[in-house]
Amino acid sequence: MRRSKRVGVALVALTIAGSAAAPLLAPHAPDERLPGRLHAPPTVVHLVDASGAWHAPFIHPWRLVDQLEQRFEEDRSRVVPLVWLARGSLVRSSDDRAAPLLILGADSYGRDVFSRLLYGARISLALALLSVTAALAAGSAIGGAAGYVGGGIDDGLMRATDFVMVLPAMYVALALRAVLPLALGTPAVFLLLASIFAVVGAPFVARGVRAIVRSERDRDYAAAARALGASDLRLLVRHLLPATRGFLAVEATLLVPAFIVAEATLSFVGLGFPDQAATWGTMLEDASNIPALADFPWLLSPAVAMFAVVLGVNLVLQDRASGVESIR
Amino acid sequence: MTRHAGIVTRFSALVAAIALGACGGSSTPAAVAPATAPARGGELVTALRTDPRSFNRLKAQDSTTDLLTILTQAKLVRINNTTQEVEPWLAESWTTSDDRRRVTLKLREHVAFSDGEPFTADDVLFTFEAVYDKRADTVLADSMQTAAGQRLTVTAPDAHTVEIAFATPFAPGVRLLDNLPILPRHKLGAALKDGSFARAWSVSTPPSDVVGLGPFVLTQYVPGQRLVFARNPHYWRKAADGTPLPYLDKLTVEIIPDQNAELLRLQAGQLDATVRPLGPEAYATLRRAGDTSRVKLLDLGLGLEADAFWINLKPGAFAGDPRAAWLQRDELRRAISMAVDRKAFADTVFLGAAEPVYGPFTPSNRKWYWEGTPKVPYDPAGAKAILATIGLVDRKGRGVLEDAKGTPVRFTLLTQKGRAPLERGATVIRDDLKKIGITVDLAMLDGNTVISTVMGSQKYDAVYFNPLWSDTDPALTQDVWLSAGTSHFWNLEQKTPATPWERQIDELMAKQVASPDEAERKRLFDEVQRVFAEHVPIVYFAVPHVYAAISARVANATPALGLYPILWAPDTLAVVH
Amino acid sequence: MTRYVLRRLAFAALLVVAVSSGSLILARLSPGDCVTRAGQSSGETERLRARYGLDKSIGAQYVDWLGRIALGDFGDSCLYDRPVRELVPERAANTAILAATALALATFVGIPLGVVSGSRRRGPLGAAIRSVSILFVSLPPILTSLFLVFICARTKWLPIAGMRSASVVRGDEFADLLRHLIVPASALALPLAAMFERLQSQAMSEAMAEPFVVATAARGVPRARIVWRDALRVSLGPVTSLYGLVVGTLLSGSFIVEVVTAWPGLGSLMLNALRGRDVYLVAACAGAGAFFLACGTLLSDLALGAVDPRAAQ
Repeated sequence: MRRSKRVGVALVALTIAGSAAAPLLAPHAPDERLPGRLHAPPTVVHLVDASGAWHAPFIHPWRLVDQLEQRFEEDRSRVVPLVWLARGSLVRSSDDRAAPLLILGADSYGRDVFSRLLYGARISLALALLSVTAALAAGSAIGGAAGYVGGGIDDGLMRATDFVMVLPAMYVALALRAVLPLALGTPAVFLLLASIFAVVGAPFVARGVRAIVRSERDRDYAAAARALGASDLRLLVRHLLPATRGFLAVEATLLVPAFIVAEATLSFVGLGFPDQAATWGTMLEDASNIPALADFPWLLSPAVAMFAVVLGVNLVLQDRASGVESIR
Repeated sequence: MTRHAGIVTRFSALVAAIALGACGGSSTPAAVAPATAPARGGELVTALRTDPRSFNRLKAQDSTTDLLTILTQAKLVRINNTTQEVEPWLAESWTTSDDRRRVTLKLREHVAFSDGEPFTADDVLFTFEAVYDKRADTVLADSMQTAAGQRLTVTAPDAHTVEIAFATPFAPGVRLLDNLPILPRHKLGAALKDGSFARAWSVSTPPSDVVGLGPFVLTQYVPGQRLVFARNPHYWRKAADGTPLPYLDKLTVEIIPDQNAELLRLQAGQLDATVRPLGPEAYATLRRAGDTSRVKLLDLGLGLEADAFWINLKPGAFAGDPRAAWLQRDELRRAISMAVDRKAFADTVFLGAAEPVYGPFTPSNRKWYWEGTPKVPYDPAGAKAILATIGLVDRKGRGVLEDAKGTPVRFTLLTQKGRAPLERGATVIRDDLKKIGITVDLAMLDGNTVISTVMGSQKYDAVYFNPLWSDTDPALTQDVWLSAGTSHFWNLEQKTPATPWERQIDELMAKQVASPDEAERKRLFDEVQRVFAEHVPIVYFAVPHVYAAISARVANATPALGLYPILWAPDTLAVVH
Repeated sequence: MTRYVLRRLAFAALLVVAVSSGSLILARLSPGDCVTRAGQSSGETERLRARYGLDKSIGAQYVDWLGRIALGDFGDSCLYDRPVRELVPERAANTAILAATALALATFVGIPLGVVSGSRRRGPLGAAIRSVSILFVSLPPILTSLFLVFICARTKWLPIAGMRSASVVRGDEFADLLRHLIVPASALALPLAAMFERLQSQAMSEAMAEPFVVATAARGVPRARIVWRDALRVSLGPVTSLYGLVVGTLLSGSFIVEVVTAWPGLGSLMLNALRGRDVYLVAACAGAGAFFLACGTLLSDLALGAVDPRAAQ
């Protein structure tokens, strides 16, 4: 495997592993507000203290210099060691109250950005995966039917998919989401977004599946199966659709980053998950306050995480599709 | 019952403006006193959030139209935001009858509109005609009343005297007139006669047609972008040394929908003043930027109102709902008041620049705040005890309170999306209530949706919002206090008072409005606040400091708490020369 | 040819009507409405409801709306209190400026780079371009706009937020617009340029392997001429064929760029209209978007026909 492809796989694997192991890796709960730590900067892990002595990895507590301006400075006089594999998490500070471990700083409510990033990955990735599965299923069904049956049904279905494909995906998602009550709970929003994404993504899958099914339909092995008495449905499902496996795999890897970005965009404008839910999109919404962003750059962590995932996927895909549909 | 446009005005104006800052307050403002007399000339640029809905204040009450009216129109009397008292304006003096039922105002002479036409008592008569006209259907009709359906009777014995008669004794007297711009009969009279007043002076009117008695005239309106005002050469007011006002040649109001964009422009030197008050977060942003040479930050003290939490107390609102037995009870609200740590609230929501508050008025309302307002301590255990008295106990040991039938104590809290103090406040309330076992589901909605739910369909559990006081005098905000009021938020427009304490407040207010004795009025209103504190229809948590920002170019500003900290007195603003 | 164009225009018209109708109905179905405001007399509310067609049933309002747009009246926006006919074109023009600039940037940066990297499969230059491309292809417009805004907020190099400065001097207006255009257009153009580069690179390396190119090289024609004249002409097909799809991407991308950089375009208008349940405005914005899309696809198909006669079938 080329080196860049290995890097890509590593990035994706890291993200998935990180989100799966979130309860272990995260030092704090995603909605735990740390009093007096609003917009606290990332705590730097030191090995050498102010007097030059070596210690096991430790942090200095943040001391609030100006509450209104949210300015902090390190209290060099105190050495707070880190504890490993204690209280159910990989690493935390030994004194959570006075010196919480904030690997990526805190957001405007005083919540640990790193913990939210990990937990947020779960929702964002899970949503993307569910949506992709639904899109693949729906797209295969539509494309398979169109490609196999042909004729008027094929025409009609393809026109419908053309229509949906031509629409700007974001406008469609926006309009569909805005129609429903704005204040929905997290599970409801999850299912709703998954459905919308599936609708938006299915046509691309359908087109490709239809093309493959149509060409495979006339092959020798298909004719043989028909001669042996296979029903249409069986032929389609057992013989023709498996030929689309390669295409579906590529399509899936293209759709996942697109859906992650779509969730982030919708949540960013307030039409996605509710604010309390920790997802990459809602975290970015917190960063939409530009003056705050300039002063507290760690709020952009979800953007970097998203970039890493999308880059990883693109590196894996490098030799395949020419990146055409990687931007939707 | 005075349905002053007041609260309701600001309620909608607030939302229409989508302002992200907190709003108005008072205490001793830091007046920026000039070292030398201000020089004439110069221009300033400010910004507002939305386009005006109309140029006619009688038809629209959004904040842009309101500001436009302050700049281009004048009223009979003005409330000086620094002193919170009434001062002469177009009326140079007035006398009140002993029974507080008649006021005779003497109008200034030799005053002309911006097109040169003379101002007389006839224009005042015309304005009142327009306000009350049925076809015109103005937004001020309900506020220019002392009680339901009791309009003012206005007569003009001569060209410079106006007599106003109230149907019942009305203690605030002329204070009511602060909200009424005097419109020119010679420009709008025809429209009123032929019934087209409702569409007169809409935003497509050529600016030169908008004639008024204010310090500026509108010279340009570019929809979505800006309003440009120039000095009114006929403006009647002069400075103490005789210089004709206003000092400024030109004032531009940019339309910038986003507060962050406004702050960025302020820091970049493209704006000279903020129009609406700034909250602690905006203030913090400006302070972090640190460039004090360009932008001056003014601390106006604690605000006049705090954000309000209330539960839907409409009888029958929860009919058929298993929570109906306890959701509307006083004990629940008292417990909620005790369960929230106001100090931590101030720290999280307002970055520490706030004080706990326990009632509808804050100490910044110097005249009417009741010093004896009981300070509810932070006592989660006490809160749980109170809830236990109405049968809400943690029966299963899972940290959730339930009633006797096993219904968990849970409700939905509506608040406005996009306004940080409200969003964060609601989050803090939710977290603190969770600690005593009450589950709160947050629903963050668009401002318009919140308003239409609370004031229209009235189908909600609880709301966290910030209605603004339009006046410090409670007699002018009766639509909130009276049970039949249109802004009696927790239970709007009742036909008869739903509870004995609401009836009590109605009676106290009726006396308060009519009493000629100021001390008696204060005593009566202290009593209203006492009843309020006992039954807590609205729970208040913390009131933030309020700020304004001006560029180094601005001279002679008179910052004060209110809806427009700098622009409430536009004619004395000047530019540093 | 004319018949083809006419057919496509008819399809475009159908698309616009279908999309607007769908949006109108969707917006009407959503909970909440635009007209209920605090402190309003019930007479005023009724008058507003009538003005914005909310007193009719959805079907009746739809039919009425269809009739009115035939006469050129697209209704009034209840959020901005202006006829939609005035509001949408100026915002749509802003989005068009943004999208066109981004497309031009992407084309003139992406395609030449693609030519270079495609014709130098093994050199360090080609590898460098490929790496940068992969990076930018992985940065969708939401991320590029956030990062660019962040950089500008910290360094104050360029103005962010909005389209023009308040205190702009006459004659300086165009330069001011350009300065404000840089961040949003770049945010939109960067991922697109990377995509063009990748595509062009692939097409280019295929073209370089074509027999006629090898033959031309054997004849002694300078390499630069081969790359930039012969191979390029043959390789433009794939990218041009994509221009149609790209319009849709541009519109979707411009939406989030407009929101982040406060560029007053169609996307941010549509968002406000959706949030505020401004029914006629939603329909008009959606229609404008569909119109852009249809025109863009038509133009790109015509361009493809010009570049590659084989595709004009």
